[in-house]
Amino acid sequence: MTELAYETEHTIIEGHEEHGHHEGLPGTIGHVSPVKSLAAVLGTLLVLTVITVAVAQVNLGRMNVVVAIGIACVKASVVAMWFMHLRYDKRFNFWILIGSLAFVAWMVGYILFDSTMYQHNIREYRETHQIKTAPIPEVEDGHGHE
Amino acid sequence: MSTVAEAENKHEALPARPKELAMHFDNLNQQFTTGKLGMWLFLGQELLFFCGLFTAYAVYRANHQEMFHYAHYFLDWKLGGLNTVVLLCSSLTAAWSVRCAQLEQRKGLIITLALTFLAACAFMVVKYIEYEHKIHIGAVWGSHFGVAEANFPEHLKEAYPNLTAEQLQQMGTGSFFAIYFCMTGLHGLHVLVGMGLYIWLLIRAIRGDFNRKYYGAVDNVALYWHIVDIIWIFLFPLLYLIG
Repeated sequence: MTELAYETEHTIIEGHEEHGHHEGLPGTIGHVSPVKSLAAVLGTLLVLTVITVAVAQVNLGRMNVVVAIGIACVKASVVAMWFMHLRYDKRFNFWILIGSLAFVAWMVGYILFDSTMYQHNIREYRETHQIKTAPIPEVEDGHGHE
Repeated sequence: MSTVAEAENKHEALPARPKELAMHFDNLNQQFTTGKLGMWLFLGQELLFFCGLFTAYAVYRANHQEMFHYAHYFLDWKLGGLNTVVLLCSSLTAAWSVRCAQLEQRKGLIITLALTFLAACAFMVVKYIEYEHKIHIGAVWGSHFGVAEANFPEHLKEAYPNLTAEQLQQMGTGSFFAIYFCMTGLHGLHVLVGMGLYIWLLIRAIRGDFNRKYYGAVDNVALYWHIVDIIWIFLFPLLYLIG
């Protein structure tokens, strides 16, 4: 009995060995990502970056925000699942992330709804004090982002 | 394979503990997964930390769309896009450094750690160029905002030839730049911290601290670095691309 006694029976993290194939040295802790899959992830992220820049040049009105956030969410998921190994990790770490995101959505959503309640007070204040503003652009007039 | 507890029960001599194993853990696997759990809890907290600023962004955008429309002309999407590519590439080298540590490729580990550090430097250089220009023309936070018409970006002049500096200021464009500098500034601060961490890892990698069972530091710093990347993945389109 040597220093092996300080290893557990399961040095590879809980049952995510893929199809019996596991690259790496015997007894390695964690999942070893093949270079091919790392490169594929970077490729996907770069393609999505080009798409998000291209789509922003087209004026979709309010949909521009939705599309931009949608593509960013896909990119973030790709980073989390592959670069951050969540796909091969303990499920608990995944649920920490989801739990945190749930509170993010709650906070942004709740405060957003609340903030729109007071806009008429601000408008009234601006009108009574005759505060000049720049002309508010019509988002549909084709000026968008260029 | 017998465990430490079994050895103790049988009153056998205990084997030598691996030098990397801290006294409060039973084995290296437990040490690794515990460290990683702690890192994920920290990252969950990081998201909530940034969430406050994203909320400010959402509230201002929902209520003052015109402010964002005019202000986004001041941001150069080419520089923002360059920084996006730099950060994505550094995420690859960070993920690759974990692979090198797992495979005990010491040379590869040193190279990937150094590349990640250099990409972080490149990011900060581009950030400096952007900040320097904005501060120079007066596109800064809150009531300090004041950009002369002569310094308007060309495509803003083309789109709105009649727009005056006064109008732009009264519209509250300074609030946009307060949000811009807070969000990118806090993110930049994270990049600086990441640079420090990568220097620390480089020193340890050169010293030969890491092996297939002990590379938690490399893995956890890479996780941190990926979260910094993910934050930027959202900042880039929200600030630079959509008006």
